[in-house]
Amino acid sequence: MLKLLKTEWLKLKNYNAFIIISSFIVLGVFTTNYIVYTVNKNIVGQINTAGLVSSFNPYEFTRTWQTTSYATGWLLMLPALLLIILVTNEFTYRTNRQNIIDGWSREDFISVKIMLAVIAAITTTLLVMITALLFGLFSGTSFSLTGFSHVGFFLLKALSYNLLAVLISVWIRRTGFAIGLYFIYMGAENIISQLLDVWSIKLRADHGIDLGSMGDYLPMNASDGLLTFPDNPLKSIAKSNLPTDYTWLVLLFAVIYVLLFFMLSRRRIIKSDL
Amino acid sequence: MEVLTVENLSKNYGNIKALKNVSFSVPAGTVFGILGPNGSGKTTLLGIIMDVLKASGGGYRILGEEPSSKQRKQIGTLLETPNFYHYLNAVQNLKIAASIKERGEDDIERVLEIVNLSARKNSRFNTYSLGMKQRLAIGAALLGNPDVLVFDEPTNGLDPVGIAEIRELIKKLSKQGKTIIMASHLLDEVEKVCTHVAILKQGTLITHGDVNEILVNEDMVELASADLQQLHAALLKMPGVGNVDQADQVVKAYFPAGTANLASVNQYCFSNGIVLSHLQLKKKSLESKFFELTN
Repeated sequence: MLKLLKTEWLKLKNYNAFIIISSFIVLGVFTTNYIVYTVNKNIVGQINTAGLVSSFNPYEFTRTWQTTSYATGWLLMLPALLLIILVTNEFTYRTNRQNIIDGWSREDFISVKIMLAVIAAITTTLLVMITALLFGLFSGTSFSLTGFSHVGFFLLKALSYNLLAVLISVWIRRTGFAIGLYFIYMGAENIISQLLDVWSIKLRADHGIDLGSMGDYLPMNASDGLLTFPDNPLKSIAKSNLPTDYTWLVLLFAVIYVLLFFMLSRRRIIKSDL
Repeated sequence: MEVLTVENLSKNYGNIKALKNVSFSVPAGTVFGILGPNGSGKTTLLGIIMDVLKASGGGYRILGEEPSSKQRKQIGTLLETPNFYHYLNAVQNLKIAASIKERGEDDIERVLEIVNLSARKNSRFNTYSLGMKQRLAIGAALLGNPDVLVFDEPTNGLDPVGIAEIRELIKKLSKQGKTIIMASHLLDEVEKVCTHVAILKQGTLITHGDVNEILVNEDMVELASADLQQLHAALLKMPGVGNVDQADQVVKAYFPAGTANLASVNQYCFSNGIVLSHLQLKKKSLESKFFELTN
């Protein structure tokens, strides 16, 4: 595997799009959280001045792990976009064929792309960890690992976003179409998810059936649903009317979808003409 | 020893049968041409052998073994078009090829020298002309000095000098004992460099074997006189004549390529009491032979 990654690095290290988008991701993690921190400080600070809610700093330990994971989740489109460009480029320039002709197996080719997706997920998770730690330490509260599970949820979400990007890339093969389909799918799934969530609330209210927030059982919303912004006092009041939060079920769905994305991508490369 | 054995290989694209039960073998040390018009299945055949396409039926063996990625690392291949990373230069692209083939990078300068790209080795691939891209692809195939080379239309995009250079290179590689499998629709190319040939037409293998047996290049002389039977009998006795056929209005006499001399033929007939009413040299070219086989 190390040999495969070494070869892949030869492709990446001089690719401008890779360098630029990667830089955006690194900078984006810090700046996004700084923006969330500043906005929250100003808005919640002002509300607090009015005496409506008690003091709320989402970047204090133990909330920092959850806040940073949630806020950075919005940036996960960037590694996905990068992966789509990298994988579809291979098809556009037919270098995927050349890699096989030169002596990679089809298994080697898809394995290294999956590895890229995993490495990108791990790297963004590490950035989240560092950012959460720094913001937590700067908040003046004592270090705590409570709530660190949200970083794990972030890793799962990153894997989900990245592997969906690989899956769409190996099926669609054309950069523009793949990017378009990725974003259309994300948008469509969000709309369906919200409709399902509304239905879940109605089911609970009208018939007393509590199946949880069913929107969270869809492929991308499963990992999205695991990450939420820390409950502020206002949100906690609203929560009493929502369906039960079956975190374990959503987690199970998210893991199944990640495995499904991996298997379908692999199958496509192994079985089809390149 | 057979370098490649193809057995009943078939490939369907929906209802289109691109390859129909193709079987042949490539002996070691030969320059094996796969000849056929556009769309005859040459690239499909090589694509299956290189595992970029999946066969619908049949199989193949390389060096007597089941095909594997390990074997492909030992084969230098140019398939259809030069496929490189457009944002990298020649050296960077060849480093990737060398890395996949598990060959050292020390061979890169040598192959760039062979394909005359040393001067442009640091230019990005997307700045190359079609001919230069083709040269780079040939250079990549030569990395690690493999014993088996597969070239699909190797002279595509090259200028006449480039074409001549690649032909010389193939002949030189052949003299070194390498096996070269070359797909082409250019008859001239096959005639000049190949020792063996397989001819494909619409996915069907028409014939295969020694190039001299299959693509015999002959001169044909058409003759006519008042008595065609007398003419036919006389020509059969003429020194240097290979074969003689009698058609409706003419007699066709075949000579080895480049040996037919109309003045001598005329003189021979006249000395045998035959006055010719028609005498015409028609080269039975490789092209006519190819058309004869594929139509």
